[in-house]
Order: sequence, then structure tokens, then C-alpha cells
Amino acid sequence: MSSILEVQDIHTFIGQFHILEGVTVSVPQGGITVLLGRNGAGKTTTLRSIMGLRPPSSGSILFDGKPIHGKTTYAIAQLGIGYVPEHRAIFRELTVRENLQLAERKRGDLARKTEFIFDLFPDLQRLIDLPGGNLSGGQQQMLAMARALVPDNRLLLIDEPSEGLAPVIIDQLIVAIQRLAGTVSVLLVEQNFRVARKLAQDYVIIEEGHSPMRGTMHDLVSDPALIQRYLGVA
Amino acid sequence: MVRRRASLLAIIGIMVFLIGVALLNSNSAGDFGITMLSGLFQGMLLFLVASGLSIVFGLMDVLNLAQGSYFMLGAYVAYDVQHAGGVVDLISVIPDPNLRFVVAVVAAVAVGSLLGYVLERGLLRSLYSRPIFQLVLTFGVSLVALELIKVIWTTTPYSWTELFGVRESFFELFGQRFSTYRLFVVGMGIALIVAIALLLQRTRIGIIIRAGVEDREMVQALGINVRAVFTLVFTLGCGVAALGGSIAAPFLGASTTLGNVFLLQAIAVVVLGGMGSYAGTAVGSLLVGIAITVAQDTAIGTAFTALPSITPMLLLVLVLLIRPSGLFGNSR
Amino acid sequence: MAIPQASFISRLLRDKWFIFLLIALVAFPFVVGLLTDSSPFGVARGDRMIMRGESVRWQAVLIEVYILAILAMSYNLLFGFTGVISFGHALFFGTAGYVLGLMLEYTPLDTTLAFGLGAVAAIAVCALLGLVIGLVTLRLKGVYFTIFTLAVAEMFFIFLGRWQLTRAEDGFAITDLPMWIDPSQNRISVYYIALAAAFLTFFFIRRLVNSPTGAVLKAIRENEDRAQSMGYNTINYKLLSIVVAGMLAGVAGLLQVVLNKKVGPEILGIAYTVDPLLMTIIGGIGTFIGPVIGASGLHLLDVFLRDATVRIGGLVIDIASIWALLLGVIFILVVIVFPLGIIGTWQRWRMKRPKRE
Repeated sequence: MSSILEVQDIHTFIGQFHILEGVTVSVPQGGITVLLGRNGAGKTTTLRSIMGLRPPSSGSILFDGKPIHGKTTYAIAQLGIGYVPEHRAIFRELTVRENLQLAERKRGDLARKTEFIFDLFPDLQRLIDLPGGNLSGGQQQMLAMARALVPDNRLLLIDEPSEGLAPVIIDQLIVAIQRLAGTVSVLLVEQNFRVARKLAQDYVIIEEGHSPMRGTMHDLVSDPALIQRYLGVA
Repeated sequence: MVRRRASLLAIIGIMVFLIGVALLNSNSAGDFGITMLSGLFQGMLLFLVASGLSIVFGLMDVLNLAQGSYFMLGAYVAYDVQHAGGVVDLISVIPDPNLRFVVAVVAAVAVGSLLGYVLERGLLRSLYSRPIFQLVLTFGVSLVALELIKVIWTTTPYSWTELFGVRESFFELFGQRFSTYRLFVVGMGIALIVAIALLLQRTRIGIIIRAGVEDREMVQALGINVRAVFTLVFTLGCGVAALGGSIAAPFLGASTTLGNVFLLQAIAVVVLGGMGSYAGTAVGSLLVGIAITVAQDTAIGTAFTALPSITPMLLLVLVLLIRPSGLFGNSR
Repeated sequence: MAIPQASFISRLLRDKWFIFLLIALVAFPFVVGLLTDSSPFGVARGDRMIMRGESVRWQAVLIEVYILAILAMSYNLLFGFTGVISFGHALFFGTAGYVLGLMLEYTPLDTTLAFGLGAVAAIAVCALLGLVIGLVTLRLKGVYFTIFTLAVAEMFFIFLGRWQLTRAEDGFAITDLPMWIDPSQNRISVYYIALAAAFLTFFFIRRLVNSPTGAVLKAIRENEDRAQSMGYNTINYKLLSIVVAGMLAGVAGLLQVVLNKKVGPEILGIAYTVDPLLMTIIGGIGTFIGPVIGASGLHLLDVFLRDATVRIGGLVIDIASIWALLLGVIFILVVIVFPLGIIGTWQRWRMKRPKRE
């Protein structure tokens, strides 16, 4: 199976701090890969490096076999990569509709996708004219996801979607992401192991700026010692 | 909501106070009308400088201290085009003064926009990673602009002598003669307030601008070239300031103090209204404009002749002491 | 308070360049006097002195350099070491001048007493101004402080330009100064006082910046949020920096008024905000000696070029008429291509150069 995203040995600095010291990640076509690891390990920075928001100083990032490192953020996004950042960076002053309109990459994107999006997140339909800031946490997360689905993205980078949400909402999100699988590939950052386990086929462990372990989720689940060692959860 | 109400009360309070003082100063309804019309006139001119300042600051975090210079430049260009002599002399080419004024305004806007584009693309762009230096740079640009204007047009102030249609006509109300031109400027200002509001609310560019004020990074991550939007907004902001200068010139003439005077008043407006808030800028412009005119009327014949020039700053200090983030703003 | 005197002095002595410079500047009036055959004290006429001759003329030039250096160093404390930009530094400079002038010319006090009280009051007013402006704006984004200083400075400038009591834009002359600090009688004493003030300012700022307090200031400059999260009340530190910078700028303003024997709104004008900003940037932001280099360089250039002309084709332009334009262009160029300034660039170059030991 070919990979849609190949991140190879990237190094990223924030100011003088060497945050990523060689991270390698790949996402198979149509698959879901999860980045696991403790807080501050470099998971979010990995996503931001891919998006060009924190460009890596060395290493390579291939999307569809073509290098994207060094491109500007908007050019990277235009290739078909959707970013759903942590803390659901929706625009609070814009209405739900405007949030979605903003994500259009060509005229008619939203019209084409409206039905699909409302089917996935029915709540958004009745909230469509409310300012994003008036939405609850779960609704904001759905909006952030929906926003990434407006254009024809082939890869989604989703950062901590379940953070701070009620279990019922998390289940809804899991269902939504599962329904996307196959058409869209996903690189997920998730601290909630239950969620990660349900969604991902592959994992990469990020620790102190490195990526020491990778494999299939299936193998990881059957190896409690490994989980304990890297994630501190059983 | 509570904050909104406090702001509203503050605005109403200031307005009532200003109108009260204006009423005390005036002998007739006509007097009062003239004060209010002059206040609106001043407020609209201020809005033309302040709107660019505020939107650019909200979107790009750049406080363009050269904004006043673009206003001043607009006034000089318009003056130069309208009158004989100077850099261009169009008297024989376009003998009709009305038409020449239209050309003068268009020329001012074109020059202002062009130089705005040059400033953003040529100078500011290289400094987005060093925001403090952007502020310093625009300050430097305002100094250079002033000196260049002195070189081109000397330091002698020009007063507008080439009259044309609207500029010469008056209408009567409450037994007082009102200048039609002031009304024209007020109308133009209102039209622009509405036009910019529509642009912000109804167009894709407007959505991008409002989103960019909140979170530039996320706008980029959605595949939008924010830098291109910066250039556009900055260029428009400078063009609108130049427009302000050009339509102010028939009343205020062109002089080397215009830039600083309007920059400082516009800064007062923007801070008072809340940086980056469009509604705040519109309301702030009116408040400051009327306050200045009322202060002018009050100061006549007293020892406080400096009152009108320091009024915007006094108002600013007052508002900042009560509401540090401005009337509509979130300044932290 | 126990000040480690010995270490302070021994550190002074280690700065060899400093000793040379100090000796050179102390000797300067006499050296110029010898070279040009003029008296460093001026020419005596009856019991009055006339300030005539090359030595006293150059003393005035250097006094101006010292004043600008103090102003630039105080600006650098704010901008370079704390990361706070003021666009109204003239406010402190000019206000101090006005307070002293008012005390000398508008109170019936005895001259010496009026001068002493005026100087103290001037510095106190500067501290107070810094405190108030800081308290109002420091809780907000940095840009608020910047434009607030710009606005208040301009407000003072306009107000004093129209205030009839101080003769509006004409300003008023200082007719009565104590003999020991009267530049038209005893310029050499003003020279040494300004020299001492400049050196003291230099060492004071160096000491402050190298102290634990200075470390916090620099931390604020680098990243205020982080400094805050380390448990420092960054607002208090910024206030301190503003108040100290304001007081030092006030000292410079006092010296300027003494030197000119005149108080007018021009000392509140934009020039005294632009000069220190430019001198600091050109010399090197956040370096100790940078602002001094910038101040000396720019002022001496100004003096030398004041009467010069350039010829472009058939056009003869005298430098004085385009000096401000030239400064502005240099300003922009430095900000864009040379942001570390002379000293900063030199230091970086030295750091990059491989060591030969």
C-alpha cells in the first residue's frame, strides 16, 4: 500500500529550542495513523511542521510523493490537506456558515458538500447562522471538522479532537471519522487511548522529539508493557 | 453583555455632554446645526484615516504611523491637480473646475494606493518576523514622507482657491447658511462607512479579513494566501486615507501639519473605539469629530485656544482610564 | 545599602578603553585650546567672560553630544533592554526643561535655590509622568504604550506651543543661572558636568542591566509571557524601566535648557523623540555603547555637514536643507538592512569569526 504522506527525519526548532529531533511518520492511502505520546513530546509540532506553520529545518515531507517542505502554509493546504488544530480554532466572530464559506477553495465547494456535512454533523444545520463563539465545545469541534471537509481534502491532520468533550460527543466524532475512512486519510493526535484504538490502524510513538516506535495498532494493543512504557496508561 | 451596556452608556454619556455644551454655546438652532455639521464633517474625515489604521492593525498587527502622511499626500496631490502650477498643470487640459476636482480626487487615491502598495510590498513585508520594527519603520516612513513633501511643495501652506460647483454653494436652514460641500463630505463619509461595512460583512474578502483579525494562522491553514490579503487591505487603507485628504483639501488646504494632526486624531479614534473594531472606529470618529468642533466653539474668545487640538487626546485618556480596551475592543 | 565599592572601581579600571576615553575627553578643552591657541575658559572682558574661540565652541558641540548620548542611553534602556518602545521620549526631555525654566524665571526664589529645586522637581515630574503613563497603558498590548506616549508628547507640545504664560511658541529665555553652571560665563564647568552625567548614566545603566533586575528586564524583552510565568510581576519591572528612563531623559533635558539658556516648545518636539530612536538603532539596540556611538556619530555628522553642499549635475543642494530627509532615509535603510546597528553587527561578526587561540 502506498503512503499519501511520508515525513522523514524532520528537525524543527522553536526559537532556540530543538523541538523535533528526527521524527519519521507515514500515513497510508486511505488509512488513519495516530501519533501517541506524552504532553510536550512534539506531536502538535509535528502536525504544525507538516502544515508549514513551523517549517522544519531539515528532513523531508512528501505528500503524494512530492516534497512539500519549504512551501508556504496556504500552498500546502491547497494541495488537499485539511488541518483541524487543537482547541478547535474556529472563528468565534464568524457565523457557522461563514466559517464553512471561508474554507471553500473553489466556488461551489460548500454547495456540493453541504448535504454530506449535515449528514455527518446534523447539529450544524440548525446552528448555521449562529456565531462560532456561541457554540458548545462539541459543536465547535464538529464545525472544525466540517470546515476541513468543505474542500476536497485527501489528508486531514486532526489534533486532539476528543479533548475536553463529553463521552457522548466523543462517540459521535468517532463515528464521523470512521465514516470518512477510505475516502480521506487521517493523521491523528490523540491522548485518549480508547479513541485512538477505535480509529487508527497504525501508530507512531513520539517521545522527546523522536519517533522511537511505530507499528500497527493491533500489535500495540496486545503489548501492555509497551503501552505502559511510552504512554503511562494500561 | 454587561460590557456592551457600559460602552453604550459611555458613548451616550459623552454624546449628551457634547450636545449639551454645544447647545449652551449656540444662540440659535442654526448655530447648533452648524456646530453639528462641522463635527460630522470632521468626524467623517477622521473616519477615512482611522478605518485603514484600525483594519490594518486588526488584521496585520501593524500600526501604520504613516497613515496620516497618506492623508496629507492626498491633500497635496488634489491641490496640485486642481490648481495652476505645481507638479502637474491641468488648467488648460481640463478647464472645467468640477471635472478637474474629480480628476484631482482620483489622482490622489491612485497615488495613495500605489504608495501604500509600495510600502507594504517593498518595506513592511520583510519585517513581519520583527513586529516592533514595523512600527519603527512606519514611523520612519512618515518622517521621510513629510520631508519629501517639503522638498516637492515647500513648507508654505496652500489654501484652496480654485472653487468649483459644490464647494461654492450654500443652503439655508434655521436662518443660517450651511456649506453644501460639508454636507457632500458627510454624505461621502456615510457612503464609505456603509460600503466598507458591506465589504466586511457580505464578501468573501470581508470574511477573510474578519477571520484574519481573529486568527491569521488558521486562515492560512485553510489554504488562503493571507499575505496577498494584507497587501490588498493595506493598499486600500492608504487609498482611503488619501481620498480623505483630497476631499478635505478644498476646506483645509494643504499643509505640512495635516499629517501629524490627523494621525494623532485617528489614533485617538482607533484606541477609543477599540483597536481593530470597525464599529468602534465609526462611532469613535463621530465622537472625536464632534468633540473637536464643540471644543473649538467653546475655546473661542477664551484663554484655552489650545483646547481643540488637545481634545482628542483628553477624550482618549478619559476613555482609557475608564475602559482600557476601548469602547468596542479587546486589547489584551 | 552596601555597595561593593572596590569591585566597582576595579571593574572600571579593567575597562582600558574607558580610561583612555575619559582622559581624552577631560583633556579635550585644553587640547583644543592648545592646538588652536584659544582659551578653554573664553575671553575675559572686565569681570564678564565672553565665550569666544575654538575651544569653547567645541565644548558646546561636545556638551550637545553628551546630552544626546544620555537621551539615547535612556531610550535604549526602554527599547533595547526592556523591549518597550516610546514614541514620546521628548515628553520627558522637554517637560524637565519647562519645569526648570518655570522655577528659574517664574518664581521669586533665589537663583541657586530655584535651580536646585527646579532640577529636583523636574526629575520628579518625569518620574511621575512615566509612572502614570505606564500605569494606564502597560496592562495592554505594547503598542498602546507607544502611541500613548506619542499622543501625550504631542499634546504637551501643542499645549505649550500655545500657552501664553510661557510665551507660546517663542518660548522664554533663562536669564539667571547660578554662576557655576552658566554656559555663557563658565562653559567649561557645564562641559565637565555634562561629561560626568554621561559617564554616570552609562555606568548606572550598565549596572542596572547587569543586575538581577536587569535580567528580568531582558527576559521581558525576549518573551514577556514567559517572564510572567516565571513568577515576575512584569508590569512592575516595566514601570521601573520607564520611570528610570524618563528620569534620565529628564536629566538630558535639564542640561539642554542650561546649555541653550532658553525654554521653548521645540524641546518637546518630535526631533527629540526621533533622535534617540535613530541613534539607538544606528549604534546598536540593546548594546551599552551603541547609543553613545550613534549619538556622537550623528551629531558630529550634523555639525560637519551643516554648511556643506552637494552638487548633482547643475543642482546645488545644501545638506542642511535635506538633513531631515537624509536622516529619515538612513533610518529606513538601517531598520530594513542593518537592524543590529553598528555595535550589534560588529559583535555578531566577532562572534562568528573563528578564534585563533
